[in-house]
Amino acid sequence: MSSSYGPPEMMAVAMARLIRDGELVFVGVNSPLPLVAVSLARRLHAPSSTLLSIGGGINPTPNKLGPATSNARLSVGSASVFDNVDFYGLVARGGVDTTFLGLAQVDERARVNSSFIGERQRPAVRFPGGGGAAAILPLSRRVILWRASHSPRIFVKEVPFVTSAGNIARIVTPLCIFRKEKGQLVLDSLHPYVTRERLVESTGFAIKNLDGAPLTPPPTEGELAELMRVDPEGVRRVEFPARELSAA
Amino acid sequence: MNKQLALEDAARLIRDGQVITIGGTLCQRVPAAFVREIARQGVRDLELVKPSPGYDIDLLAAAGCVRRIRSGIVSLEQPYGMAPNFRRAVEEGRLEVIENACPTIMASLQAASFGVPFQPVAGLEGSDIPKVSGFGKVADPFTGKEVYVVPAIRPDWAIIHVNEADVRGNARIYGSPVWDRLMSRAAQRCILTTEKILPTEHFAAQPELTIIPEVFVEAVVLARGGAWPTSSYPEYDVDDDGMWNYLERLRAPEGLARYLEESKSHDRSGIEVAA
Repeated sequence: MSSSYGPPEMMAVAMARLIRDGELVFVGVNSPLPLVAVSLARRLHAPSSTLLSIGGGINPTPNKLGPATSNARLSVGSASVFDNVDFYGLVARGGVDTTFLGLAQVDERARVNSSFIGERQRPAVRFPGGGGAAAILPLSRRVILWRASHSPRIFVKEVPFVTSAGNIARIVTPLCIFRKEKGQLVLDSLHPYVTRERLVESTGFAIKNLDGAPLTPPPTEGELAELMRVDPEGVRRVEFPARELSAA
Repeated sequence: MNKQLALEDAARLIRDGQVITIGGTLCQRVPAAFVREIARQGVRDLELVKPSPGYDIDLLAAAGCVRRIRSGIVSLEQPYGMAPNFRRAVEEGRLEVIENACPTIMASLQAASFGVPFQPVAGLEGSDIPKVSGFGKVADPFTGKEVYVVPAIRPDWAIIHVNEADVRGNARIYGSPVWDRLMSRAAQRCILTTEKILPTEHFAAQPELTIIPEVFVEAVVLARGGAWPTSSYPEYDVDDDGMWNYLERLRAPEGLARYLEESKSHDRSGIEVAA
């Protein structure tokens, strides 16, 4: 393993591996890493998966990926325009296999808060809102959450407000992958460059299977080479705060 | 019927206390020149209903034009991140957020567009949103199964930036119409800002490409570059320098006034181009 990689490459590859061939996969707004991951998966193990972009395209072929995933360039090359109303109808009728969604906070019981902390009328912290998550999480067959940052303020014991909850398959972070088991988040794997002590310090709830969980297989040469072809400009890095990039 | 107005005159249609919806999403195809003109005219106490606002609500929040917002997500997207002036206004208690999911706003607008009082919405199980935002839960009269419902919301105005329009208000949008087709049908009346004004024959040649028909439209404003610094596909992309300049300007106490003054001639130049 000679190629170097960091959290952005590990996350993009880990998220790509979760996509199954043949699936209909939705990538919404504010989602640079998922856009890279689906593009990568379609070049590797999942060539028959379909990317449905909130930019309006079905398997669009823009000449380059950019950081704004609501950009209408993500309808270039698509044979039809699939707008937001079309998408929310399709997900409501059970037609979407996998959706990627972001989060501001998530708790031990896999409940997501992307709304606010404190009093509703005058919150201490206002987050962006969950977008369509409250409807999508119970309706999409699988939901993969991701966040390009991992701290005790993000991974908390209990969220003060539940924006969304539902079919969470995995949560991918710069440090690890969580999965939901019997209504609780457990460790699915720890990224190879992370110590178990660091994960404990960075997480606001106790991880019950900390010692038993395996390491995430590092990106292969083949995965990294394809990642560089799919994302030569490094869109995968745009979501990361500086401290997450330097800590690997 | 010629509905073309200058930007300043069209913006005067918006009255204090009205409910508006604004086309585009986040930093894509936002009728930004119109939004700035509302701020210049000092309109107050607006309620914005929009699944995914961005540049629009950030500027209107900074200008103190909006009292309440119903939205699913507010963001400027990467690399600009969260809308800082929106966030500050909410955290200071100057702007009330009625928490929604994008499809619950969509359903409220659909109910208005269909002329029915409420609309069922799929999903939402496990979310606190229905409780804090006053959604209902009713039994389906046919199966008895429970379903969440949201009320119809008919905005006074939909303000939408389009690629091409005629002076009667027929309009094409290239790329995704996002929510705009629905917004045009849900609102009481629609105001268009457009990159180009073309003869009606252009639209009649391929009527199936007309996303917004004239019957919904009150005013048409020629606004070349009217979405700047947000994008108007395929004419121009998000202006990176323009976005950073906006964010930088508004960090200073008098920054908003200066920003509105600096962008005034750009915004109001459209009608002159037409003449």
